[in-house]
Amino acid sequence: MEKDFEQLPHTADIKIRVYGSTLEELFANAVVGMFQVIRPLVDGCTVINDRVVCESLPIKRAVAVRSFDQISLMVDFLSEALYLSDVNNEAYLAAEVHELSNTFVSATLHGIKVRGFEVVEIKAVTYHDLEIKEIDGTWQADIVFDI
Amino acid sequence: MIWKLRKLMVHGKLILCLTFKYKKGYVMADQIIKREDLVQIDEYTYEIPSSYRPDMLVPARVFMNERMMDDVLNDRALWQLVNVATLPGIQKYAFAMPDIHQGYGFPIGGVAASAVDEGGVISPGGIGYDINCGVRLLVANMNTEEVRPYLQKLATRLFHKIPSGVGKGGKLDFAPDELDKILGFGAKRMVELGYGTEADLEFCEEHGCMAGADPDLISDRAKKRGSDQLGTLGSGNHFLEVQYVDEIFDESIAQVYGLHKGSVTVMIHCGSRGLGHQTCTDYVRIMMGKLPEWGYVLPDRELVYVPFNSKEGRDYFAAMAAASNYAWANRHLIGHWVREAWQEIIGESAQLNTMYDVSHNIGKIEQHNVNGIEKKLIMHRKGATRAFGPGRPENPAKYMNVGQPVLIPGTMGTASYVLAGTQESMDVAFGSSCHGAGRRMSRAQAKKSVRGSQLREELEQSGIIIRSDSDPGLAEEAPTAYKDVEDVVDVVTGAKLARKVARLKPLAVIKGG
Repeated sequence: MEKDFEQLPHTADIKIRVYGSTLEELFANAVVGMFQVIRPLVDGCTVINDRVVCESLPIKRAVAVRSFDQISLMVDFLSEALYLSDVNNEAYLAAEVHELSNTFVSATLHGIKVRGFEVVEIKAVTYHDLEIKEIDGTWQADIVFDI
Repeated sequence: MIWKLRKLMVHGKLILCLTFKYKKGYVMADQIIKREDLVQIDEYTYEIPSSYRPDMLVPARVFMNERMMDDVLNDRALWQLVNVATLPGIQKYAFAMPDIHQGYGFPIGGVAASAVDEGGVISPGGIGYDINCGVRLLVANMNTEEVRPYLQKLATRLFHKIPSGVGKGGKLDFAPDELDKILGFGAKRMVELGYGTEADLEFCEEHGCMAGADPDLISDRAKKRGSDQLGTLGSGNHFLEVQYVDEIFDESIAQVYGLHKGSVTVMIHCGSRGLGHQTCTDYVRIMMGKLPEWGYVLPDRELVYVPFNSKEGRDYFAAMAAASNYAWANRHLIGHWVREAWQEIIGESAQLNTMYDVSHNIGKIEQHNVNGIEKKLIMHRKGATRAFGPGRPENPAKYMNVGQPVLIPGTMGTASYVLAGTQESMDVAFGSSCHGAGRRMSRAQAKKSVRGSQLREELEQSGIIIRSDSDPGLAEEAPTAYKDVEDVVDVVTGAKLARKVARLKPLAVIKGG
């Protein structure tokens, strides 16, 4: 997979387009995109090509989320990562999805302690414009974050 | 994608529309409103008639002028306003204030009233994730020249004393029992704990304590996020600003508000932090699960709503009130620390009094006259400020005859405004006004057009002190990223939504440290 996510224009909030060769990869890349786009301030990591790159991500968080449908699952999954980030002062820059259906996801988030976020803090994951679709074998999701 | 010509029954109206299958609902294809879709009502009011889209229950009205039109039509804000016009129980119009821009669910600057007794609904997306985000204004007993020698030190002290809290929490951590009391009683509880004064409460919307708040309806997760974030600003467009009164437009009202030309003021802009964000997230999820039961057809899932008179509707309202109390406690605590910093640097004689504190992301139950009939309404104001005119019992006694202060934060390099609610405003848009300048440029565009370090230098050269440790954050909030606040305020006054009282210009801008 060449590109895992990119930022799209939005007047006030942050909108990203996430890519994945599988749905599992799409969900994992959505977590990475959500944190990379607000640039975590992390001691010992470097910024290369607008990405925070760390030699290791020592923190592991296991998450399991059940929801109503695929769209809600994406919102709830990312909201879970956001919640964990806020209460533990962490950012998750990699994720492995272990199990995924339209209504359930289990994953391990790999993260690191942060001092803050250089760009902005994400308040919430919204349903607005949220689409998950497959185009020529690549999964794609547009996600708007309230900031 | 499946295209269909569908017959829909929406609130008793048979409508025909061309739709495509979109998850479980149907959305019409064209999401951009064009100039020719708008009907000009008067110099400052434009309408999208309810015939524009078959599911609209009322027309949509936007307050703007010709100069602002390109910016307003540039994104999907008006499409979102049309979506608001489909809200069950909606009265008169779906309104957009002149600082309108694209949001999620409602546009920012959106105002809608849904009648409790006419199948009225409540929508968390019509209030926002940052429940009771708002503005508090403090007025100093000193003028600009008296404060100027202390400004550099003051800005540094404020920067270190008032944290952003982002990624690190704040300075205080409240135990669960204490947090529940704050959720129940807001700023009032903070006074009992020794922060701020009774006078701060008098000059605060809802006196800093919204009735009907139920801490038990705030999730443990939200409480966990909120336990150490009181007294923090957050990030984005939230700020603390030391300002001076640059111009007075209405001497008599300014006098009642305690504003004089040259007075120094401090403006605090922030909300309910992670506790509020989580509360909105929690209730959007609860309501999403109830959608099949209520059978509502939503043009945008972020608009999700439930009847106000349902368990979920009442629960959300009580939780939202509790999160609002948290936000008032937050601004109250920051105000207290600003006052401490002020006296640490200038001395004991330096006083700061709260002039007013307004919310611009909130739901309220209000009584309004709708075409001659008194109705109980669920008011949604998202990126919009209450602007009650003289005589409303909600106003502080001191301001009863002049109307409620409306606080409009501008951008870093321009100006903020103090307006006053008017009698006409009650009839025009249920006593509502704008909440800021309103963005016109995406954050990415802003960063491309201006470098944070360059902006910092330019602002400092023009005499504005900046304390912020994020250059990208500064660039995103560059004045050019916003509409001209003068235009926005001219429309607000021209449309009689509020009256101009005073203009405030920045002396020092502090983004949380």
